Amino acid sequence: MHKLFSIFLLLLFTTATFAKENSSNADIDLTRMSSTMVYSMVYQMVTDPQKYVGKRIKMKGAFSSYFDEEANQRFFGCVIKDALACCSQGLAFELAKPRKFPSEYPSEGTSITIIGTFEFEKVEDGIGFPIIKDAKMFR
Amino acid sequence: MLDKLFFYLDFPFVRYAIIVGTLISLCSSLLGITLVLKRYSYIGDGLSHVAFGALAIAAVLKVTNNMFIILPVTIAVAILLLCGSKDSRSGIQIKGDAAIAMVSAGALAIGYLLMNIFSSSANVAGDVCTTLFGSMSILTLKPTDVYLCVILSAIVLVTFALFYHKIFAITFDENFTRATGVNVNAFNLLIAIIIAAIIVLAMNLVGALLVSALVVFPALSAMRVFKSFFTVTVAAAVISIVCSLTGIIIAILAGTPVGSTIVAADIVAFFICYTTSFIRCRRA
Repeated sequence: MHKLFSIFLLLLFTTATFAKENSSNADIDLTRMSSTMVYSMVYQMVTDPQKYVGKRIKMKGAFSSYFDEEANQRFFGCVIKDALACCSQGLAFELAKPRKFPSEYPSEGTSITIIGTFEFEKVEDGIGFPIIKDAKMFR
Repeated sequence: MLDKLFFYLDFPFVRYAIIVGTLISLCSSLLGITLVLKRYSYIGDGLSHVAFGALAIAAVLKVTNNMFIILPVTIAVAILLLCGSKDSRSGIQIKGDAAIAMVSAGALAIGYLLMNIFSSSANVAGDVCTTLFGSMSILTLKPTDVYLCVILSAIVLVTFALFYHKIFAITFDENFTRATGVNVNAFNLLIAIIIAAIIVLAMNLVGALLVSALVVFPALSAMRVFKSFFTVTVAAAVISIVCSLTGIIIAILAGTPVGSTIVAADIVAFFICYTTSFIRCRRA
């Protein structure tokens, strides 16, 4: 029984696949994590942003943009999906060197990697949103 | 691989998931044996759908801590299903599996309807999917959720340990137990409350649709290999904890959905136990 159980555990673990590791100078490198961990990490960043303010974040996801008519400003985001692919969430980012939209940006849904500093941008009465500032974007 | 695992264990939410996963799987396996032997295996599914319906009501009412609605509603329905159908004076005409099927489908439909009509979320399909399959719930727990789980699990474990002999007697022969002077109705009520609490907790781990697996598989696996109530209880608890931990670890390493990975581990464990039992029978 004990031997069978050990074989079962071994079989389960060997089926696991891992994200390719790559070197970066980020404090939190989401590109090295599995999709389950990435989704959970981004959830933590969105719900408890103060813990991550000032940290260098590297993440990979789908490019997305949104024009806020009230603020008269276009926001850019890096969106990731959960393991079931039914939920998605993302982080807004602001490039260190602004580019022209749309000609110098990728099309919606294109896979991008961004690296920048995590900040919490306050709008009013303490309400705000997390954003990656001074970001660099790679395809 | 171990480096990766230890790296992930540095994050508090991963540690919370492992603590809560262990406690929930332990509690669900203990009561699972009673449910399987009393032929109430499917009640976990019915109650989890009720919890889903209650969650939708809590979302509509914008209740900050939805546990204040989910837990009482699920307990009330568990009492109705487990105790009401046995009481001929209660006037309940729909019994057993029909009552569970009715409550299960009804609560699921009402829950989804309410979420569609009144939801303030932009992604209703995503919310429903997460609740039903427990996609990420276990990895998004806050410290307060962990404390609540620890308290409820402690209550369940202490109750099970204190009333182990009575639960054993009621599981196998209610009439005989009643004849010995035990208040069977009170203990059925207690079992119903504990089961409801476990189902609500287990929803976080595997989602509403997969709760039954957490209740049924460890008990059935242990029954293939062991024969006495005590050894089956201990084996079911061990199998359930090992499968949950294996499932959580594989899910975070390989990026698979947590709930379905845990259930897949339970299925593998069941087949191993079944094969072991089959080989043992052939040799005997």
